[in-house]
Amino acid sequence: MSPSLGGQPLLKVTGMIKEFPGLRALDDVSLDVSSGEIVAVVGHNGSGKSTLVKILAGVYTKDAGEIEFPASTPEEETELHIIHQDLGLSMQLNAIENLGIPKYRGASGWAPFNSKREREAALALISRFGEPFDVTVPVAALAPAQRSIIGIARALDGWKHPRNILILDEPTEALHASEVAILFEAVKKLAAQGAGIIFISHRLDEVLELSDRIVVLRDGRKVADEARTEVDHERLVELVTGVKAGEAETGRVGRKTGEVVLDIENLSGAGVEDVDLTLHKGEVVGIAGVLGSGREALPALVFGSLESEADKFELSGEPYAKRSPRASIRRGMGFVPGDRGKFGSVRPMTARENTTLPELKSLTNAAGAVNVRKERQHVMGLVGKYDVKPPRPEQVFSQFSGGNQQKVVFAKWLRNEPRVLLLEEPTQGVDIGAKQALYNAIDSAAESGAGVIVCSSEAKELVRLCDRVLVLRNGRVAAELSGEELTETRIVLEGYGLGNEGVK
Amino acid sequence: MKKTEALATVDPSILEKPPSQWRRLLGFQNISAIYIFIVIFIIFSIWTPQTFLKPQTWANLLDTNSLLVMAALAVLVPLVTGVFNLAVGAEIQWAMALCIVLQLKPEDFPDLALALNTPWPLAVLITIVVGGLIGMVSGLVITKLRIDSFIATLGMSSILVALTYLISANRPLKDVQPGFHEMYGWHIPLGDFRLTFPVIVLIVIAFVVWYLLERTPVGRRMYAAGFNPDGARLSGVNVGRLQLGATIAGGLIAGVIGVLASSKVYLAGGFGAGMLIPALSAVFLGSTQFKGGRFNVWGTVLALYVLAVGVLGLTLVKVPDLFTDFFYGVALIGAVAMSRWERTSKRTRAIRRATTLGAEAKAKLAAEDEAQLPPQLTPTQTALKQDGIEDQGDKP
Repeated sequence: MSPSLGGQPLLKVTGMIKEFPGLRALDDVSLDVSSGEIVAVVGHNGSGKSTLVKILAGVYTKDAGEIEFPASTPEEETELHIIHQDLGLSMQLNAIENLGIPKYRGASGWAPFNSKREREAALALISRFGEPFDVTVPVAALAPAQRSIIGIARALDGWKHPRNILILDEPTEALHASEVAILFEAVKKLAAQGAGIIFISHRLDEVLELSDRIVVLRDGRKVADEARTEVDHERLVELVTGVKAGEAETGRVGRKTGEVVLDIENLSGAGVEDVDLTLHKGEVVGIAGVLGSGREALPALVFGSLESEADKFELSGEPYAKRSPRASIRRGMGFVPGDRGKFGSVRPMTARENTTLPELKSLTNAAGAVNVRKERQHVMGLVGKYDVKPPRPEQVFSQFSGGNQQKVVFAKWLRNEPRVLLLEEPTQGVDIGAKQALYNAIDSAAESGAGVIVCSSEAKELVRLCDRVLVLRNGRVAAELSGEELTETRIVLEGYGLGNEGVK
Repeated sequence: MKKTEALATVDPSILEKPPSQWRRLLGFQNISAIYIFIVIFIIFSIWTPQTFLKPQTWANLLDTNSLLVMAALAVLVPLVTGVFNLAVGAEIQWAMALCIVLQLKPEDFPDLALALNTPWPLAVLITIVVGGLIGMVSGLVITKLRIDSFIATLGMSSILVALTYLISANRPLKDVQPGFHEMYGWHIPLGDFRLTFPVIVLIVIAFVVWYLLERTPVGRRMYAAGFNPDGARLSGVNVGRLQLGATIAGGLIAGVIGVLASSKVYLAGGFGAGMLIPALSAVFLGSTQFKGGRFNVWGTVLALYVLAVGVLGLTLVKVPDLFTDFFYGVALIGAVAMSRWERTSKRTRAIRRATTLGAEAKAKLAAEDEAQLPPQLTPTQTALKQDGIEDQGDKP
């Protein structure tokens, strides 16, 4: 499919820049979409995909750059429609009602419903995308693919002409393979009618299947903008990871590990199924996998903040059956969650209070009161050790920058020398300098005898940190990589289930 | 210089000078209630000096409002853990009725099942324990049934009103045992001034609560549970248990208030119910004092007395009683608005301090702020995150 309308693209983004403190999320990114074209935007977590969508959606304002609609004329204005990952449907309402939500502005919102006409209109809308389904049941009772179709139908309802832009942000996240096919059919139909489609995804096989052109983002920069025909699996993985196939840095060897600290058999729960995990003293084990593979749930399952079942769960040789965060802390575990603001900290409290929250006993006096002077000194030492800037324990947590917040969270868990340290996305939203400091902290924690589990979406990070990496796919361990095999490429390939097609 | 470069090169620790200790301590932000007090004091001293400036007036003020301060503390303790106790008024009313009814002679009141001629010290004890039990029921409803505390305590409040009616047959009762009524009159003379029994009780409770909240690990965890229950849980805080404990403590305090109130005014309808709004106002206004947005004991005590002085002044200049309610209502809304503003403005300023460099960069930021109001994230947009970098709340 080639650009129509005299070669004018529908949407033209030039030189987009977005900064967050200490982090350039988008760096001079340009992009255009023509009528009838499906452009895929791919990249790892943190590559800037979401930032791009959020700027287009108006959630964020750009620091620099232009967004233009060159094909837009007064008679035929180009509209921009975005379907977010969660679709934004009201689960308790039915399809008819959900489709009606954007309509009825102003006075028409007070007119009574004509339910028969509404239902027919709704059915007509959704049957454009395949088999119609029951539009009178709550959306929650429908299959995920049907919900996606409602989302698309709603975005499309009221288009005055077909040449508009539709952005699909990770639309297949919740779908099964058969459902993905339904969705793709619908998207292709739209493109054939003249819509310009931006398809955001990190599922490389889907991208290759659906798109006409592929734009790859890495660390906020556009590293490729190529026609689908120019790219194959191997090339795409190279572009996404930034590592040439066969030349990758491999995992480290030579860390001295001791006896087993954590021995788990058949751990199941929250999307994870039958995972076996052994962790030795002084060892760093990585957990990789795409979003939804169970990667993000694993540390919480081990820590006990999510419910899980296991045939065997031993911590330092002792069985540990009834797991809870509190008991885990008492037994010497620490957990740095991925969402710092929501789970990792208490944002309105000071760095000092955050640091000492899990364990205050060693800082209390005979009367049961916290010895604040002692606490201050203790935290001052930690703040220095982990290089928190500004080095002020009395500053409120939320007033630190992302990297320094994470250093405080690290200090909080490392201060009592945990036996097992669970890290979820330890360097997410953290600038380069702080990243190095955090890596050093992880290394030294392992050196002093902690068993560390790092769960990360960044393959590079896992290669840098880990002795061994478990790659999860669909909740199960798909591969265990170590030594020579532990490369970024292998992690990505195994994560996507492309182990046989790619390199070597 | 571009803002982006400023961000990358500046070490915030060099930029940001800690604000002077004294200026912070005496600043309007920190102790606004004291400044408000001074203003109120000056106004009424000029308006009605002969009554307003009498020492007796002030001794009375301290005494009569001590129960209200305790009510505020009964609201404060659960609120620190994130639990609203809107039942505090009904709890007090109930405790008043129970304490009196228990002391009545069955032969005088054959229609009241609880008129058991209980010796008054025992009646006092029972009332306080039952207060704690009621708090426990609220707490269990909130933590085990996971019902929002607003709803749970509103429901509890209605139930207690009915139970109060049931045990007292909605009669004004004053046939208490002699020793009981004298209890309220106990005092420690301090020259001209009398430290009355309720004030002593208040001081004891306030100190215990203060020590608990601000000196012990339990208090630290209570704050953490209130600020961010999920985050606190992952730090090993047993949020449910703390909330339960806090509602029990609130119930016990309400029981104590009921005992003291009934020893003073016997059983008067509506006495307790009127305490909720002033108590809530004081707690929220108190949170803007001393601790920068954190609910705290001394802020609450101060705020309540400041409000009370305002009410006293209004009474002395013969403003009709209904304006008291009006005044407290305005105070509640104003206090909550202030505490909100305090939290957001503080954060914004601190981030700005840490990220700006020089007048030029500052001007640029200001201009940008003009241009872009902070985006209100809809749930959809909030759920948009998956790359995660942006959603750590780090953005200015």
